[in-house]
This record gives sequence, structure tokens and C-alpha cells, in this order.
Amino acid sequence: MENLFSRRTVLAGLGASAAAALAPARHAFAQIDDRPFYFFTDAEARLLALICDTLIPEDEFPSASQAGVVDFIDLQMAGPYGKGAGLYMQAPFVAGTPQQGWQLPHVPSEFMRRGLAALAESEAGALSGDAPAMDDLLTRLSEDTPDLGDIPAGAFFDELWKLTNQGYFADPMYGGNAEYAGWRMVGFPGAHAYYLSFVDKHNVPYRQPPMGINHKPGGNGAMPRPARAQEG
Amino acid sequence: MPDKTLLKIDVVIIGGGWTGLTAAYELAHAGQRCVILERGEHRHDATSFGAPEEHDELKYALHYTHMMDVKQNTLTFRNNRTQRALPMRRLGSFLPGEGLGGAGIHWNGQLWRPLPSDLEMRSHYETRYGAGFIPDELSVQDWGVTYAELEPHLAFFERICGAAGYAGNLNGKMRAGGNVFEGPRSNEYPNPAMKMPITSTLMGQAAEKMGLHPFPMPSANVTAAYKNPYGAQLHPCTYCGFCERFGCGYFAKADPIICVYDRIKEHENFEIRFKSTVLRVEKSEDGQTATGVTYIDADGQEVFQPADVVCMNAYSLWNVHLMLVSGLGTPYDPETRTGTVGRNYAYQTIAAVDAFLDDSIITNPFMGAGALGMIVDDYNGDNFDHSDLGFVGGGYIACKQYNGRPISYQPVPEGTPAWGAQWKRAVRDNYLHHADFVVHGSSMSTPENFLDLDPTWKDIYGRPLMRMTFNFPDNDRRMSDYVMNRAAEIAQSMDHVTSVSSINLAAAGNDYSVVPYQTTHNVGGAVMGTDPSTSAVNRYGQMWDHHNVFVFGACLFPQNLGYNPTGPLMGLAYWTLDHMKNDYLINPRPLMDA
Repeated sequence: MENLFSRRTVLAGLGASAAAALAPARHAFAQIDDRPFYFFTDAEARLLALICDTLIPEDEFPSASQAGVVDFIDLQMAGPYGKGAGLYMQAPFVAGTPQQGWQLPHVPSEFMRRGLAALAESEAGALSGDAPAMDDLLTRLSEDTPDLGDIPAGAFFDELWKLTNQGYFADPMYGGNAEYAGWRMVGFPGAHAYYLSFVDKHNVPYRQPPMGINHKPGGNGAMPRPARAQEG
Repeated sequence: MPDKTLLKIDVVIIGGGWTGLTAAYELAHAGQRCVILERGEHRHDATSFGAPEEHDELKYALHYTHMMDVKQNTLTFRNNRTQRALPMRRLGSFLPGEGLGGAGIHWNGQLWRPLPSDLEMRSHYETRYGAGFIPDELSVQDWGVTYAELEPHLAFFERICGAAGYAGNLNGKMRAGGNVFEGPRSNEYPNPAMKMPITSTLMGQAAEKMGLHPFPMPSANVTAAYKNPYGAQLHPCTYCGFCERFGCGYFAKADPIICVYDRIKEHENFEIRFKSTVLRVEKSEDGQTATGVTYIDADGQEVFQPADVVCMNAYSLWNVHLMLVSGLGTPYDPETRTGTVGRNYAYQTIAAVDAFLDDSIITNPFMGAGALGMIVDDYNGDNFDHSDLGFVGGGYIACKQYNGRPISYQPVPEGTPAWGAQWKRAVRDNYLHHADFVVHGSSMSTPENFLDLDPTWKDIYGRPLMRMTFNFPDNDRRMSDYVMNRAAEIAQSMDHVTSVSSINLAAAGNDYSVVPYQTTHNVGGAVMGTDPSTSAVNRYGQMWDHHNVFVFGACLFPQNLGYNPTGPLMGLAYWTLDHMKNDYLINPRPLMDA
């Protein structure tokens, strides 16, 4: 019960009935660390992990998927953002200039699902997990070159990169930034912020460890993982 | 036909932000029965904006939880008249508010006054540089009100906010350490200037060595315990770094809820109705006056609220939208260049400079505040000689520290890949060693930048969306390049700098985009003036065509100055309210001859 708050926060907006309906299925990928997904299929999650870890690879600090970014994106897709919160969806949908912004007829979760499917189909060769091939694929995506049918490659890259970046650095209660990986990496101390007596002390390192919104002493600010998935 | 018609009141006020709540405060105390219709919900600093829950970058800064919902109403956008405008389907370039306090909740608190010459822009430039000096592509004009007229009102709003700063011009006496370019102030700032972090300090030292005149940014992030003239108690800013896009649970950023609403909410002449969206202002049969407003109430009923006076206090853009869908005034037609509603829409011209510092400098960028920074105003307005520059206007250069939030603040030197291992390493290496400069430039109005109604898309109430046609005028592109280069010179001369990069969002070839955030400083469209053929309202904010309709906010600006708009637009609000209370309400009539 101690962690009820963060769970509520993350799932807020799903609505009680919607949240209850999200009975997490158990997937092969999730079995690796006992995490069921709310939105992604096993294959989608594996593909996404490959992409995220190319965007933010492992060094002295964790890779994106090691820091929970796939879980973060999964929750985002299942939640209000993925379902199109803050998006005007009135037809007609007409292609515009880059300056006119998002004009796709899909909400983000639909766009993600279709994009991953199109990528898996048309770029199967590049998705072997081989790092140079993945680097090359994402470079081409970012340059809007691959033909992904009705999915604009550049916009799909932007969405993948935005979500990956958010997942690495957002408050850990959203499922990413595990053990404050992103915050420790840059030196951001988090949400418990009060610097009145410190701001004009110049060039002094601020040594407090990061604390997220849901931080408890000795904790990591993460949301509770859903209970071990049901067998069968 | 409305579902119901209510009893007539004295004043109906559309919108519960800075100007609407202030209008209600002043008019209720003048004996007027006021009702505010606010489309959003009640919220309060104490219960809605507390830390640490408020310090959620994803929820508030990136998912816009305090902002308007484009599902209800948005606009369509195009760069020019040859394009088809398309809906702005997601917020980006600007972030209008919704709910009690409006955008005044999530502002930064950068609290400026206009320069005297800003308010008399056309006549000032023509007097100083000659009649043909202002480029033909611009429809720049005088505001119709002078700095001397506005000064007491600008000063009063600074007292409402408990503004922090140091006067550079106190009753005509120039003082080093303040803004020596500003118009004369009748008083000191209510509170001392903010503490300066290392980045701003280094910038100030460099600028001073160059013979420039740096000073701390005027701030509505309060620096001491303070009681405002309405009796509101404010507290010192904590430099928490969650200011712009967030509400302030510390009672330290002046906002309309704590500074105004709390002090009027129990007054007998005051009422506010939430979840009440005004659909249109209704006109009398002869069209000379407004009879009240029709709105959708919290129960979804269509309600007619009759009133003697209508105050339009929605966000700048939505005031114009409401005029267009209500048939108030004459819509602007860019073909014939006639009509005034929608005319002279302008924005803000933004450039940025990044200065990277050696490892001996630790900036702690997360210790920030919305209005924290050092300013150089030597290249703003007409503070510098424009004779040979080929443009009018200017901007301030700020070295600010307002946001070390880790998704939004990832400075990397020029040439760093956009993702991958090298990017990751660069973010890690530079987060604590970077100074953030912005060039906050003016935006001149042109006959081709305007607002009208879209022929295709509708809001959820079935009203046509407003259509925005906007691109940066060449004048502003040149201005922004020029001031950005001055900012880069300052950055390069800072001690401990290892590299400097810059970007002008209005550089030649960059069309204005609604995608990246720039500023929530949309101005014009219902501009004020002394000539009814070029202004929708007179110099008192009163509509020329309907004398009991008063218009508030940045939609009054005939073009945008190089400063943030809240100070100027609140000065105008108090100016308008002064003339309503002391003249119009005693004898309702047009306050100027058309």
C-alpha cells in the first residue's frame, strides 16, 4: 500500500474501469524480468528495446531499456498520451508543411503500433540487432528516407526519440529513469527542490542524491511493478 | 434560443486570468455587480500546485496539464495566404492557459515595462530617422497611449506582484545596476533584485567590460515576505527551477489567484462561474452595443447572461476569435487592407545562444526561477542607433537560469550527434557547465500577418476555428540576426567559455513553425489606437463600434515590443479600468469620437 500514490498517478486518466481492464498479459520479453506489458506485444517490445538502446546505448550508465524506457513507453501508450490526450483529432486530415506540425489521423499509440509493424516488415534485415546496422537504420529514419507506406519515417523517428528521451529522464514513477539513471548521469537532484540559500554559492557541487516525487528514504522513486503476472 | 436567460448584471467578464480577475476586483469595489465566466475549473496554489507533486516535468512541462485543451478549441495555421491553413493539432509554439488564473499561473514572472518609445513607435522612428525609415512591409503604429499616462498603472501592477528589481531610472535619475534605458519610475521596486547564479554573474561581468549596461531581470518571483496592496501575502522564491509551465505552491510567484482572486472571492459584488464557455457576445438590434453573452454552463446548458457592460478578458487570441464569431467590429480583409478585427497579429522573435564553460564552473542549472537572469537591454527598442541597420525594433539579451529540468535542458556543443553514444556523453559532460542566453526580440506587424476564421475546421461547439496567417517579416529576421550576434559576442567574451553556438529561429529561410515552443506572447488582432480605420478599440480599450465592450490583454498591442507582455498589458488593464470607473460608468458613451 505504501506505493499506492505513484501507481494512482501513473494510471490517472485511464479511468478506474479502463485500468481494471488492463489485465497485464505475460509476454516472453517480460519474462526476462517478470514485467508484463500493458500495451506492447512481446515482438513489439523487443523491437522497441533494440531501437531505444541504439538511441541511448549503455556506457558507464545504463542503456535506455536497462533504465526502464520500454516500460515507460508501454505505460505512455496505454495511458492518456497514447490515446490522444491533448490532440485535436477532427477530420479532414490533410498533409501539410513541417511548420504546421502533426497532421496524422492516428493517436500516438496507433502510430506507434503501425510504425513498428511497418519497420519490422520493410527493414527486417536491419533489425538483426547488429549495432552498425541499427545505427544506419535510425540515421535513415531520422532523415526520413525509408518508405514505410503510410507511416512518415521522419515523424516516426521523432516520436521514438522523444519518448525514449522522456523515458530516460522523466520522474522514475513513470517507469523509466530506473534507479535515477538519467538524473545521476547529468547531476539533476530531482523534485524535492529548495535552493534559496544555495543559488548564489558559486561553483559548489550540490551533493544531495536524486529524489523523485514518490521518493521514500532508501528508495528509488519507482512506481511499483505490477504484481508477478498470473500463470496461464 | 438559449435554454435559459438570467437576470441582468452590471458587468460580465469573459475569462478568469490576470486581466479578468483584476477587472472584477476594481469594478466590484466600484459598486458594479460582476460575474466572471471562466471556461476552465477552479484551482488554487495551496491545493493544486504543491511540491513535490508539482515538480513533474513530464506531466506539466511536456503534457501541458495546466494549459488549454486543443480538443475543445484550437486554431488553424499557415505561413502565408497561398497555403491551406491546417489545424494546430497539438500545443507547441505557445501555451495558452485554462482554468482559474489562466496563463498567469504558468508564466515565468518576467515583469517588464514598455520603453516610452515602444508606445509611440511609428512617430518615434519617423521623428528620429525620417519619414520613410520604417520599411513599407510593416504596418507599425502608435499605441495611442503614452508612457507617462501608463506609468502609475505599470507601477501599481508591480506592487500587486511584489516585483523584484533595481530601478535604473528613478524619477529621471539614472542609476548604474538598473536598466538605464527604461522610462522614469515613480518609485523603487517593491522588493530587492534576485540572487544571481554563476552563469548570470559571468555574463554581467563580460557585458560590463564591453561597456554595456547589465542588470538583474525584473521579476515577479518575489524575494522577500511581502503584502500587496490588495492584502495578499507573498513569500520568498525558493529557486526551485519549476516555474514556467508550473504553478507555484510556495506563494512566491505572483499569480492571479493569490494576488487578486483570494482578495475578491468573498466580495458581495463578485461571482465566478467555472466550466462556463462563452460562445458569443450578443449585440443589440441596432448593433451599437452589446446586450450580454451566451455561454455553455457547467451542465451543458446554453445560457444568456444579460449585462450592461461586457469585458473581454480571454487570452489574446481567443478575444479575437470571440469578436470574429460574434460579429463585433469589422473583420480585417488582407486583400483590401480594410477592417480591423484580426489585423496586425504579431508574435515574438526568438534567438538563442549557448555558451559552454570549462569544468571549473559548476552552474547547478536546476537552481532556477522563471525570471532569474542578467539582462543587457542596450539592443532593445530604439536604445541603439538604427540609422544604418536596415530594421526597426530590437530585443533584450538574457543570460538566464530558469530551468535545469533534464528532459528540456540538454545543452550540447555544436556538431554533437543528435542521439547515440556521443550525444549521451555530451549531455553528461555539459549539463553542469553551460550558460543559456536568449534574445527576446520584438515582432513588427505587417498587412499579411493576420487572424480570421477558418473555412473548414470547427471547435467542439461548432464554431469555426480561428485561422492564423503568420511568418517572420524580413525586418525581424534582420533584427534577430543582429541582436543574436551581439549576444554571441558577449558570450564569447565571458570568462571560462570553451565554445559558443547560436540559433536564430527567424533566420532567413526559417519559416515560423507552430511546433517548437517559442513564447506564449501572441499579440495584436484587436489593436488599440486613435484611428478607427486601423484599430479595433480606442486608446481606452473600448470598442469603436460597441461602446459597452471593453477589451483587455495583449490583443491590444499594435505590434510586439521586445519585452514580455504581462507588465505592459496589465498597465493597460489598470488604465482601462481607471477610465471605466472614473468616466464611462458614470456616463456610458463612446469615450472618443470615431
